[in-house]
Amino acid sequence: MPFQTLRTWFERKPSVAPPPKDRSQLRVGIARVLNVWSTHQFWVAFLKELGISSENIVFSSDTSEEQGREFGKGRGTVDCCYPVKCISGHYGELVFGQKKKINILLSPMIHSLPSILHGHVVDTVTCTRVMAGPENIKAGFLKERDVFAENDIVYASPFVSLGDRHMVTEQLFTSLKDVFDLDLEETARAVQAGFQALDSFTTKARQRSRDILAWCAQNGKPCILVLARPYHMDPGIGHEIEGELQAHGYPILWLQYLPGDDDLVNWLFEEDVKTGRIKSPFDISDVWTSSYSSNTNEIMWGAKFATRCPWITCVIRLSSYECGMDQPTYTPSQKIVEATGTLYFKFGDLDSTKPGGGIKIRVETIVHYLSKYSEEIIQRKLGYLSPDCPLAVARRSDAAVST
Amino acid sequence: MAQLTTIGQLPLNQPPIHHYTAYRPRPFKREERDKVTILYGGLTWKHERLIQGTLHNMKYNAEPLPNIARDDLDAGKELIDVGACCPTIFTTGSLVNFLKKEVAASSKGEVANKYVFLTAGACGPCRFGQYHESYSMALDGLGLRDFRMFLLAQDELDQGPSGGGGLEINLPLSLGLIWGILFGDLLSDLEYLTRPYEINPGQTDQVLKASVEYLYRVFRERPDHGAKYGTLAWHLLTNYFTNALREVCKMWDAIEVDRLRVKARVKITGEFWLQTHEGDGNYNIKRWLEQEDAEVVPPPVAVWLHYLLHPTIRKLEHRHSTSKHPRLEQTLLQALERIYRWTYNRFRKALADLPNELPDQEELRELAEPFYHFELRGGEGHMLIGKALHAYHHKKAHMICELSPYSCMPNTMSIGSMANVIGKYPDLLYAPIEVKGDSEVHALSRCQMILTEAKRRAHEQFQEVLKKTGLTVEKIRKYEERHPETRRATHRVPHLGYSGTAANYVLHLAQDRGLARA
Ligand code: SF4
Ligand code: SF4
Repeated sequence: MPFQTLRTWFERKPSVAPPPKDRSQLRVGIARVLNVWSTHQFWVAFLKELGISSENIVFSSDTSEEQGREFGKGRGTVDCCYPVKCISGHYGELVFGQKKKINILLSPMIHSLPSILHGHVVDTVTCTRVMAGPENIKAGFLKERDVFAENDIVYASPFVSLGDRHMVTEQLFTSLKDVFDLDLEETARAVQAGFQALDSFTTKARQRSRDILAWCAQNGKPCILVLARPYHMDPGIGHEIEGELQAHGYPILWLQYLPGDDDLVNWLFEEDVKTGRIKSPFDISDVWTSSYSSNTNEIMWGAKFATRCPWITCVIRLSSYECGMDQPTYTPSQKIVEATGTLYFKFGDLDSTKPGGGIKIRVETIVHYLSKYSEEIIQRKLGYLSPDCPLAVARRSDAAVST
Repeated sequence: MAQLTTIGQLPLNQPPIHHYTAYRPRPFKREERDKVTILYGGLTWKHERLIQGTLHNMKYNAEPLPNIARDDLDAGKELIDVGACCPTIFTTGSLVNFLKKEVAASSKGEVANKYVFLTAGACGPCRFGQYHESYSMALDGLGLRDFRMFLLAQDELDQGPSGGGGLEINLPLSLGLIWGILFGDLLSDLEYLTRPYEINPGQTDQVLKASVEYLYRVFRERPDHGAKYGTLAWHLLTNYFTNALREVCKMWDAIEVDRLRVKARVKITGEFWLQTHEGDGNYNIKRWLEQEDAEVVPPPVAVWLHYLLHPTIRKLEHRHSTSKHPRLEQTLLQALERIYRWTYNRFRKALADLPNELPDQEELRELAEPFYHFELRGGEGHMLIGKALHAYHHKKAHMICELSPYSCMPNTMSIGSMANVIGKYPDLLYAPIEVKGDSEVHALSRCQMILTEAKRRAHEQFQEVLKKTGLTVEKIRKYEERHPETRRATHRVPHLGYSGTAANYVLHLAQDRGLARA
């Protein structure tokens, strides 16, 4: 058989014929995994702008062992970190577990990410497994036969550099034009709508974090920062460890949504910029020189923010089992945080099972330390900063904080 | 609001903060060059010796680190955060053990002044991109923070003087290093296609050593042609290097081989460091395969360099480019890619076209595309799948042995995707070998299983070609007696559609040398 013929047989092509132009009846399933956790606002707005109604955009559920057992069993192709391994269950749920069948399974290969550190770091790309996870997982649904095609589902996995906005329209148009019957202009509009939604959400979330910090500042209360990857927000990945702490009355901040307002970061990093240690408050080259990876960079910046910010008296580091990106960051992030006496606790090797009892005991220990040392930590850290704290007067009067 | 009143008032007993600071090497100054030795490593001893030729040519003192040994794994594990991939652990451990030995023989201060370490880096979120973070952690652990380590970006040939001017990464240095790497690859190809068939055991290794030493001198004596375009033009057009390779070819001519030994041809792929390495770091798997009756197709570093400069594949790397002439840049890059291939082929030709040609990157991309997108970064990216399919479709090997470091991020992804490839091509023999560094028996026995089938196929093909040509081993032996040149290592056996050397050899004698008609 000629080699060319073989090749055309296995060409990347949609599993079934492209759907009709009227998209009101199209149902799109999105795997709620990896960096979809920090970009889903983009995807929802993008699809809505294309005419897909909200009720026809479905996300797979939070990760769970049951999900993996019921829908992902036998589809794993390799052993790796749990945030990637669990994707089989999400795909399976979208394919087999929907009352109303989906037409398209969307699982983007996200190459780069929007980041507050953009322009201050070498790059903002994702972990190689975040990028390539979908290729790996899809193999489990195609290796014996095309499970997507059998279920009348088009599998769409666009490669997209969300951190490099000028590239996104072309990338999504090229990869999705046959899937959604797109033209270039409508793709551009949808991309714009996607970024607007994402930006607006991020701004609000950062403002919310600032409100929490302002409340802490005005009430002399401590809070906790979670240093983790966005998908540790998934209860099946991060095991809601932060929730257990919050239940003890400590407000929780996630590094992804730390406030980046000039007044605040200038106050926190004033000394560092003045002494030439860094060029700007978002510069992390003093602690991390290989600043390529977006999530890793932000973890480093979050650690720097936390060690300086008086009311963050404790940092919780979450990390998944066998995470190659986190591995070289353990010691630096701990040393950054502890430089000012800020408490640091790491929950490493997180896997599919919630280590229930272990977490409970550790949470109690953390709460004990927090209640014992927070006051002292706040005082000490305040001593290192100038008196002009921008959080002293809350910018918003409605800073109601529920703990 | 009590807290606010104390802002900025550092209590008297409050110690000043010492914020964590990443490792930064103190400068390596121009005037220190004579007293300082540059350490480097990460490739094979052949590549490293040739690189040393260039460094000596540029008047640097330079020394490769000793080859990786098993106890480097323990030394590395001891000093870096748990969970690192084995290439990181091995290379860190190797540096650690070297420094420990030196410190024991002199002092920390002396070692910190006497050596600097040069390592590849600056190429992405994984791979070497973070190696140096582990190295610096290890230096901390050794109390050698004063020791200097510099990164060599892989994608810039002219980085100028760095970190004090002691090391100047300019065009003559970069071209010398690249040429050294290409020559290391070419010699490796000769080595692996000869040794399994040598009549006198050990002769290949002897000739290889002599060739490396000869080429070391060629690099050391390389004439100076300025720092910019003059040197570029000279490197591309001179006969200095091709003549040297012809001399090498003559040395290999002396080796007598028996190509009727039926061997399974095993193509090595995998993570960059692990596939390139020859030693304990990958359980000496290449030598082991030869002992198990295989002919190894080694992975040239040249393919990785080709990937790095390929215009289609690297388009993504230029996404932040502020160039006013992007089209011109693209055209230049295209020209550069062609020149690169032309140069490699020129070198191959000087070696009687014995070394393997570089695969077409566009073809690798197309082959991999249904399974692994070519813009996915990290490790070897789509190339692992592309190379496996390339070898399969073009019958370049009976089996693929993919060396994958335990906990390697990109490798696990492409190995997973290979499940889809195998689903489509069930007769592709593929052995993904996870390398932890300390579980040799398990890894080699996995390889052994697939190798058994590969050997069976090699023998089957050999019988098939004998039948097809009507030749017998005795008949061929008689012919060889009359034509001893066919038993020379430099006698090229063209690829005639079989995966194995013996089968191609028989067909070659039958078709090209008219033996079937004789
Ligand atoms: S960052 Fe870590 S946990 Fe996330 S995908 Fe990469 S290796 Fe897995
Ligand atoms: S490619 Fe794999 S083994 Fe190599 S540095 Fe990256 S993670 Fe480690």
